[in-house]
Amino acid sequence: MLTTVKRPNLQLIWVIATKEIKDSVRNRWVMVVFAIFWLLALCMTFAGSAVGGTLSLPSLSSVVASLTTISVFIIPLAAILLSYEAFVGEEEAGTLQLLLTYPVSKSQILAGKLLAHGGVLFTAIASSYGSSAAILLVFGRGESWGEILSAFALLIASSCVLAVIFILISYLVSLKSAEKARAVGSLLALWFALVLIYDLLLLLLLVADLGYASQWLVNLLILLNPTDLYRAINMLGASAPLGSLGLLAQYEWSLPLLLSTCVAWLVGLLYWTRRVFLKKLV
Amino acid sequence: MSQMAVTFNQVSHYFDELRALNDLSFSLPGGKLMALLGHNGAGKSTLIKMILGLLDPCQGEVSVLGQTQNPASKAASTDIGYLPENISFYDKLTGHEVLSYFAALKGVSARAVAPLLEEFGLAYAQHKAVKGYSKGMKQRLGFAQAILARPRLLLLDEPTVGLDPQASQFIYHKLKQLTDQGCTAIVCTHELQLVEPQLDLALVLGRGKRLAFGTLDELVLNCGLGVHMAHPALAGLVATHPLLQSFYRDGDLICPVSQREVLMKYLTLECQLFDVKVTLPDLAQVYHAKMAQMQVMSELGLSLTSGEL
Repeated sequence: MLTTVKRPNLQLIWVIATKEIKDSVRNRWVMVVFAIFWLLALCMTFAGSAVGGTLSLPSLSSVVASLTTISVFIIPLAAILLSYEAFVGEEEAGTLQLLLTYPVSKSQILAGKLLAHGGVLFTAIASSYGSSAAILLVFGRGESWGEILSAFALLIASSCVLAVIFILISYLVSLKSAEKARAVGSLLALWFALVLIYDLLLLLLLVADLGYASQWLVNLLILLNPTDLYRAINMLGASAPLGSLGLLAQYEWSLPLLLSTCVAWLVGLLYWTRRVFLKKLV
Repeated sequence: MSQMAVTFNQVSHYFDELRALNDLSFSLPGGKLMALLGHNGAGKSTLIKMILGLLDPCQGEVSVLGQTQNPASKAASTDIGYLPENISFYDKLTGHEVLSYFAALKGVSARAVAPLLEEFGLAYAQHKAVKGYSKGMKQRLGFAQAILARPRLLLLDEPTVGLDPQASQFIYHKLKQLTDQGCTAIVCTHELQLVEPQLDLALVLGRGKRLAFGTLDELVLNCGLGVHMAHPALAGLVATHPLLQSFYRDGDLICPVSQREVLMKYLTLECQLFDVKVTLPDLAQVYHAKMAQMQVMSELGLSLTSGEL
């Protein structure tokens, strides 16, 4: 007779998360994500100044600005690649239906997957950007430790929130898609729209008219796109040049408000994803 | 009378306009093997999902292992083992890792995994990625997964499709062992010849409706199919025994199941034939007869609203 043990909720979440991490590692996505982030962080730290014709370590604001600009493209893409098949893949394989016959709830499955995918991206982001911070702390241009640590803490925290937001967006699309190819196609289109097209439209709006109504609308539009929110948070946090967002001369949002909006995005998406999963018939 | 493992009481389920199950009732006693038969879209998957608690009936009640089953309650889920059709496990994980994962989710001790892999002849490949497993190995792994917690009810959806005869035989051999130990099994299959020797009961569904339910003998009787009786001396006896003439066709006697006993007695006592070869209609004939009846009803515009055909 076999022993059956009643498992607490957290233990089941951990079982699912461990399996997801193992699966991702074997699929080599984790290696790819780690390689991209480390390469990105080291290039921006060591070679960032080469763009300006010098070969010295760039300033803190310059490193943060460079990392932010590239991260806006890379983090959503990494999150999508890591998690697009989380549900549609299991549904195609038949394991999602099987899993739901086990004594594990849909919320636990969602939490386990999120813990794994979020954990992988957190480790990649924290280790790579943390190494950039360490280099600046040791060889930097004299910025105080406090400045460097607070700027990088904000960068890492906001990068992780952006990663989780895109993981949840991927889950939503994965839950709504009938096949893996369609899920990844939809997500890449969404990435293209949010990361590239949205910003271009924003710029167009700013250049066309800088009146109060347009300014108000642009500020609102920033809140409606997590990638712009992320960019604004880090530019403001590190007092870095705002780039395209620098056109926001009458920038009205404070850092706490931007951070709160980011968290609201996360909570809203988590609620929505869970709801969609709970209603899904497998 | 043994306790009922599964009871459907006037269960109906609709997907928008489509009536997937229509007023279905049956009771499956514990320790029996039931074959779940029907054409594609007959409602078999819906029925299985209801037993598993993945779908709620729109009408009626589903009771599994003594509990009312619905998606909100998973009380019986450790007592139910399930092997879905065409499952493809996590390709990158090894057989041992896959089974350990499901064991952990079901609260089964990790120590149970290795002996189970041994029992299913997968010990030699337990550390190989599932991607490299053959179809038969994957099915055996799936079966092992289904019985991890030694369930009281086992649901197998097309367990032998695409398998070679030896692998199919292995599956049914294991299934027989389990039912002998008191486990109730429901096998959804189109491979009628394979399931026939094992089944205790069969449920035939057609367009969401119960077409037939019972033992093979009951189904044969219910279908009105004939029993074949063969003997080399029959041709000579027909001329002298007028009773046999009404049953004689193409060298054999063909009689309704209900008259089999009487005819056998007649052949033994009156004709002195003791070694008559009796062939009952098989499951495939029963199935095709039921499907044909359903088709005729449909063509006549008669709806399948109540009772069996």
